[in-house]
Amino acid sequence: MKDIVRQKIGINVDIMDMLNEQISKEAHSSAAYLAMASWCDHNGLVGSADYLYKQSSEEREHMMKIFRFINDNGGTAYSPEVTNVLHDFNSLQEIFETALDQEISITKSINNIVAKCRKVQDFASEQFLLWFVNEQMEEENKFRRILEIFDIMGTDGIALKLIDERIKHGE
Amino acid sequence: MNLLYKSYYFASYQCDKSRSFYLDFGHKQVKLSFCQLLSIRQKVNAINLDSHFDKDMNYNGIEILTLCNREHLFILDTLQVIDLKQLIKATFGMLELNSLVTHA
Repeated sequence: MKDIVRQKIGINVDIMDMLNEQISKEAHSSAAYLAMASWCDHNGLVGSADYLYKQSSEEREHMMKIFRFINDNGGTAYSPEVTNVLHDFNSLQEIFETALDQEISITKSINNIVAKCRKVQDFASEQFLLWFVNEQMEEENKFRRILEIFDIMGTDGIALKLIDERIKHGE
Repeated sequence: MNLLYKSYYFASYQCDKSRSFYLDFGHKQVKLSFCQLLSIRQKVNAINLDSHFDKDMNYNGIEILTLCNREHLFILDTLQVIDLKQLIKATFGMLELNSLVTHA
C-alpha cells in the first residue's frame, strides 16, 4: 500500500494538531495584549499601551508563522476562535505579571511540542520551532526586566509615570 | 482499494490508483483527498460527546456534519458519532503504521 499521507504532508499529523493548538494560544495571547493595551490607554498609561499594541502584533506574527508553516508543508491550519479575553485589571504591575505568566505558559507549550517532535522524529518541525524557543526566552526576559523596575521604583504617583515612560522607550 | 479500518457503522479505504481515500457511510461512499480527510478529522474531533448526554446542550442528541466543502451532509446520532470518532482515530493509526512500515 502506498504511503499517500507522507506524499501529501511533510510533517507528523500529531505535530500538526499541536501546532494548530499553538496557533490558538498565540491568537489568544495577541488578543490578551490588545485588551491590556486598551486598559492602559484608558488609564493614561500611553507608553505601556504602545508597548502592548506592538506586543499584540508580534504575537499575531508568531501565529502567522506557524499558520504558514503548516500549510506550506501540506497540513491544514485552522483559523482560531478567540474567547475568554480578560479585560479587567487592578494595576499596571498586575498587567505585566499576567503578561509574564502568559509568556511562560507559551514557552511550556512550545517546549512540549519540541519534545513531541523529538519523540516522533519530526526534525523539520523541531528545527522550525527552535526559533520560537529562543524568541520565548527573549519575551520572558523583557517582562521580567519590566517587573524589576516596579520592584525598584514602586507603583505610586510619579513612579508609575516614569515606569510608563521607560516602558515606552523599551529601557 | 485497501481497507484501512471497519467500524460498526462505517469503513475507510485508501485507493492507491487515485491517491485518495474513501469513507463508506453505509448508504453512500464519499471520495476524499488527504486534505479533506484532515478536515473531517478536525470536525469529528471537535464534536463534544458530553453535550450528547446533556439535554440543555444538545436536546436531540444529533450532530450535523458537512463534508467536502458542504457537498455532503450527514445527520448522525450519538452512537454513530462515537463510531465515527473511533473510525477516524483508527484510520489515522493505520496510516501512521503504514508510514512506519513503508519507510522502515
